[in-house]
Order: sequence, then C-alpha cells, then structure tokens
Amino acid sequence: MNTMQSSAQAATAARRGIVIEGRDVGKSFGGGSVIALEGASFSVKAGSFVSLVGPSGCGKSTLLRLIAGLIDRTSGQLTVHGRDVKGPHSDVGMMFQRATLLEWRTAIENVLLPVELQRTVTAADRARATELLAMVGLKDFAFSFPSQLSGGMQQRVALARLLQTGADILLLDEPFGALDEFTRERLNIELMRIVGEVGATTLFVTHNILEAIFLADEVMVMTPRPGRLARMVHVPFARPRTPELTLTPEFNALVAEVRDILGTH
Amino acid sequence: MADVVTQMAATGGKSLRQRQNATHIGIFLTLILLWELGALMGWLDPLFFPAPSAILTSFWRIYFAQGNIWYHLYVSLGLVFAGFTAGSILGIGLGAVVGMNGLVRRFLQPYVIVLEATPRIAVAPLLIAALGFGATSKIAIIMLVCFFAPFINTLSGVINVDRDRMELMRSLGASKLQVLRKLVLPEAVPVIMAGERLALTSALSGVLVAEFIQRDQGIGTLILTYTRNLNMASAFACILTLTLIGFLIFKGMEKLDHHIAYWKNEAGLRRVGAKRAQAWATAQRGQSNA
Ligand SMILES: Nc1ncnc2c1ncn2[C@@H]1O[C@H](COP(=O)(O)OP(=O)(O)OP(=O)(O)O)[C@@H](O)[C@H]1O
Ligand SMILES: [Mg+2]
Repeated sequence: MNTMQSSAQAATAARRGIVIEGRDVGKSFGGGSVIALEGASFSVKAGSFVSLVGPSGCGKSTLLRLIAGLIDRTSGQLTVHGRDVKGPHSDVGMMFQRATLLEWRTAIENVLLPVELQRTVTAADRARATELLAMVGLKDFAFSFPSQLSGGMQQRVALARLLQTGADILLLDEPFGALDEFTRERLNIELMRIVGEVGATTLFVTHNILEAIFLADEVMVMTPRPGRLARMVHVPFARPRTPELTLTPEFNALVAEVRDILGTH
Repeated sequence: MADVVTQMAATGGKSLRQRQNATHIGIFLTLILLWELGALMGWLDPLFFPAPSAILTSFWRIYFAQGNIWYHLYVSLGLVFAGFTAGSILGIGLGAVVGMNGLVRRFLQPYVIVLEATPRIAVAPLLIAALGFGATSKIAIIMLVCFFAPFINTLSGVINVDRDRMELMRSLGASKLQVLRKLVLPEAVPVIMAGERLALTSALSGVLVAEFIQRDQGIGTLILTYTRNLNMASAFACILTLTLIGFLIFKGMEKLDHHIAYWKNEAGLRRVGAKRAQAWATAQRGQSNA
C-alpha cells in the first residue's frame, strides 16, 4: 500500500520534472533547543540552477545536508527523485567551502575517489577523470598534490571529483567563498558553463546576492531565527549570461527585490 | 648576470658553513685536549672523568681486542626491536579501535587519563614478579613504555579527523572500513609517526631499566658491571655507544617519517608525484596494448 502510494508520488513528481521536493521540512538540534530550519516547502525542477541566499545561521547548510541525507530531518517530508530521503544516497554530490581534498593523493587520484569507494577503477574511469580535469582547466596538473595547487585550483579539483560521482544533483555550499574576488568570478562563470554541459540540477549556497542572481534560474531567499524559506524569486534572463548583465536595470530590479525580502537596504 | 650572483651566494654560504664547522671541531678538540690534560695532571677525579685516551682504549678493547660488547648489543637491540614492534602494533591498533568507536572511547577515557599520569616504569618490578626473570618480562617492560605514545597519538589523530572530509566520505557512501583506510589512518600518519619516534627512544631507555633490574646480560647490565668494578672508561665507552645508537635511531626515524608522510615535505611530493605519473603512463600503455 505504502509502496504503491510512494511510487505513484514518484511518477507524478517525474511528470512535473521535479527532482527535489520538500514539504514543511524542519530540523532542530539538541532535542529541539536549537531550531535550524522550520517549515521549508519548496520544489526544484530538473536541470535548474537554484541559488540559496540568506544571513549566516539561517539554515542553508542544514538544508543541503538534509537533502544529501547526511543528517535526518525532525519534521516534514523530503523527497529526491520522488524517493524519501533516508541517509546518504548517490543521487547527490556535495562540495564544500573548503576543497576537502585528500592531501596524500594527486589531483587525479582525488578525482577517482568516488569511483574507488564503489567499485574497482577501470580504464574508462581513468579516461573520464582525465577528461574532467581538462574540463575544469587542470589538464597539466593531474599528478600535482593539493598542497602544490592554489586555493582556486583545489576547488577545481573538488568540482571535477564532484562530477566524477555522476550525481545529477550538485549541492554546492559556498564552494568559492574562501577565494579572492577575481578567482571567484572566473570560477562562477566556468561553473555555469560546466553545469550546463553536464545538465545537472544545482543548489548553490552563497552570501553574495549579485552572484546568486547572476548564476541562477531561481533564488531561494531565506530568513533567520528560526530558519525559514521566505520566497523563491524567478530569474528570467537568457543564457549564456555575461558579466554585463549585472549592469542592466532589470538585473538591479531583481537585486532590490531580494534585498527587500531579506530586509537589508 | 643573475647566475653569477646566485653562484656567489652559494659559494659564500658554503664557505660560511665550512668555517662554522671548523669552529665547532676546533672547540671540541680543545675541550677534549683540556680534559686529557686535566686527567693527566690529576686535576680531574678519574672516577667521574676518565681520560679521553682511556675511553678510546676501552673502545678498542670492548669492540675488537676483547670484542665482548657485540653480544650484549645484539641482545639489547633484539629486545628493543621486539618490544617496540609489539608495543607499537598494540598502541596503533588499540588507538584506532578506540578512536573509531565513540562508546568504547567514553568508557575508556578515565582509565587512559589515570594510566597516563602513572610513571610507566614504576610497574616494571610488578611485571617481573608476574612474568619471572628473562626475555619475556624485559620485552613486556619495553612494550609498556612503548605503548602509550603511539596509542595516544593514534587516538587523537583518529578523533581529530577533519569534519568536512568525514562528511564528504559519508556523502560518497564510504563504509566504516573505507573511511578508516582511506581517510582516517592516512590523515593520522604524521602524528602516529611522531608517536613512533617517541616510542623508539623510550624503548632504548626501557631496555636499560629492564637490564639494570635483571642484571644478567645486555648493554645495561654491561654498564652496571663496569661501573661496579670502577672501570669507568669502559662504562663511558658503552654510554657513548648508546649515544650513537640514539642518534642513528633519531635520524633513521626522521628519514622514515619523510618517506611515509611524503606529502608533508617538498622532496617527497616531487618524488611520489613523478612515480605516480609514471605508473599511470605504464597502466595506460598496458591498456592500449591489450
Ligand atoms: N550540529 C549542530 N548542532 C547544533 N546546532 C547546529 C548544528 N548545525 C547547525 N546548527 C545551528 O543551526 C543553525 C543553522 O546552521 P547552518 O549551518 O545551516 O547555517 P548557514 O545558513 O549555513 O550559515 P552560514 O551562512 O554561516 O554557513 C545555526 O544556528 C547553527 O548554530
Ligand atoms: Mg553554511
């Protein structure tokens, strides 16, 4: 009975092209003493790029970790590809603010880690890893160790590793937040290109409102204490987008709208 | 032009170093000479400061003329090796198990603190009482003094594993064993190696204590015998031998550390990086031939 119901749900979700769906999702820590997230209802369309913005502590990381199944929600419903999220699963790949590379492995060995944890590495896997390193612009650094790479290059390796998982949902938690302005801008544009190429659904956390709008199809605006999903803002601009977009009045109208929701004028 | 400058800097640095070395050797020889002179003139009590020439003669005797030190060295170093190996394996193994298991850790924590506060060597007589005289109790004593540094260091290495990397491994669906093998242990390697260095130095002290207590054979017993016969020059020769062994152990462990924790030093990164690149190329070629 239950299975029938959930497979029916999965079918409807797939028909609507929705890959992640949350209904009143809540998470509290310490037996309810800290409410990190409350009543979050949202849906994410297949292949879309969704930015998450909101002040520090509003539950952005918590939401990503819930979707990844790294922590369990304390209330509500949450499905990925129509399936209830219970524990870590292979539909999603994560990327963090820090590159989290293994320092004793070369770049390409880091990229192969996700495969290695699942099965024996094949020649095809190695070819794919080489291809991914080229895609993130590190063709010549396959045998460099993380400590021999700059912060930006390390994040590129982490991105290649994320793509090697083959996950079609990418959860990026301030992936370039620790990098300088120039590097971050370049990587953002490359990220847009790469994500478009592989056709993945992307959730991208950032503190930067301009960046959030520039990259996304939808911006999830969150407010703090307790963490709530205030609104989804649709971003209508066509792709490919260039940095000049940020100078247009339409773009700035959207920025103002998001600022308004956040109450940060 | 730039080449000339660097070359000059290089030779300048080298000659400075050579001059420093010459100064060190000069001071050392002067001290030895003064010591010899003092002993010769009877200013120094030969019971505390046997003349350098006498120590040198003793070296010749115990190593070549009489050659009796070899056996004792062999016995002592054998015990050090056995006790160190057993103690390290136990320490690292238990440290990993306790570190990976939160429940065991909470349960063991108070005991670890109490044991850490106890001077390990105090337990030596009890071990002899329990195991009797002989190699077994000596190895047990060495194990005891060797166990703690690897245990504590492995434990802290495992507990302090990077949280984000842990989360990454979990999100990639790694099993507990995979997390241990591919993340936790490699990440803990540098601290474990630091523990191993301490352990090996302790092992050298441990074997001496064990032999001081049991007085049957080994380098510790030899020192004790020479001292009791007031043959201070030979006792000094034995102690200097231990100094040399200690130094070699230190250097050897340093080399091993550089080799195992290769990602912590420039040379290691270059060496292993080149090796992996080559292995990859070979695998690739094998693939295209097949
Ligand atoms: N493991 C935890 N135990 C207790 N409280 C937690 C835990 N993880 C998060 N919290 C709390 O939940 C709230 C939301 O945290 P979260 O990390 O999701 O915020 P965030 O939006 O990602 O913030 P930032 O922008 O600073 O990264 C915070 O108040 C935080 O203190
Ligand atoms: Mg966060």
